[in-house]
Amino acid sequence: MSERAEQIVSRLSAGGVELAAYLPDSWLTPLIDRVIAEPRITHVRVSREDDAMAVAGGAALMGKRAAVLCQNAGVLLSANVLAAFALHHQLPLLIVAAARGGAEDGFFYQMYKGQVTAGVADAIGLSVHRVDGPADDWLFERASEQAWLQRRPTVLLCSRDALLGAGS
Amino acid sequence: MRRAVLAQTIAELAPEHVVLTSLGTAGRAWRDHGGPNPTFYGSDPMGAAPGLALGAALARPDLEFLLLEGDGDLVMNLGSLLAVADATPANLRVIVFDNGRYETGGGQPLAAAGRADLAAIAAGAGWPAVRRLDRAASREEIRAAVGELLATPSGPALLVAEVDQEASPYGGPGEHSGAEARVIFQQELARWEATRTGMR
Repeated sequence: MSERAEQIVSRLSAGGVELAAYLPDSWLTPLIDRVIAEPRITHVRVSREDDAMAVAGGAALMGKRAAVLCQNAGVLLSANVLAAFALHHQLPLLIVAAARGGAEDGFFYQMYKGQVTAGVADAIGLSVHRVDGPADDWLFERASEQAWLQRRPTVLLCSRDALLGAGS
Repeated sequence: MRRAVLAQTIAELAPEHVVLTSLGTAGRAWRDHGGPNPTFYGSDPMGAAPGLALGAALARPDLEFLLLEGDGDLVMNLGSLLAVADATPANLRVIVFDNGRYETGGGQPLAAAGRADLAAIAAGAGWPAVRRLDRAASREEIRAAVGELLATPSGPALLVAEVDQEASPYGGPGEHSGAEARVIFQQELARWEATRTGMR
């Protein structure tokens, strides 16, 4: 298991996350594998990210803290569920998103995600944080608390180093 | 089969379930003709109700959940059938009100209405228990089908019930905001649970 993933899952659990719904991204693979192996977190596979948001919202409705693990494209896809469901009913959930399309990303097709995701998330009304490396690890723990207190989703836009470790 | 008859039958047979509904006529039928169960009435966006129900069922495995789902809501997110089948929540039952059209929106038919078989799609997605109830079913047959669904030893289980096409106009803005509706449901649920466990 990845040491980096171990650190993140430890923080998520400390923040009270008991359920995680996910869709893969290559930057998220170690974290997803670690979540699947984590007995304190129920893991849920979905086929669209907005379904993951609904699953996490359903858990929140019943009093459980939940997270969504997805690429930032999933935040864009889920704008309607986040605005019309999570924000409408004031349901807290934590989104751990691979922030594809930054300067360290080497694909044409990823670039638009880096350009627009933070702005779209902010426009929807989410609380948005950037996680650039281990120095920001406290956010994996505290962001779920922030979501709970604000009664709305919080999204962590995570760099490659933040998810896979420096120099990976 | 009229929606009201189906909702009344569910209310008779499922007094111990927490009810979740999708937006539209299924929820409206339950509001007008259903039981006193703690109920969360889903709102926009369509397609989110199965995911909501899955998350709720996984979060509270000690409760039995019943999702009253519109066919229009389901076809907006058929992939949700895969997620539920994969997670296999033992405490989730689903009844699809299948009239083949977007009733509230104006009665337009669903894509492939009359040809698509939602029960077959769910079975093909991996649901272990799927039933279908014909539109011409008698009250006894409705009662038997709902009873069989609820008695399925382990979920998830789904019943696709063909219902009549009946006008279902918008009912106005409602009395509560989305946040208020969520709080009301959570308070209702807490009171209901306290009553059941004698903890009042």
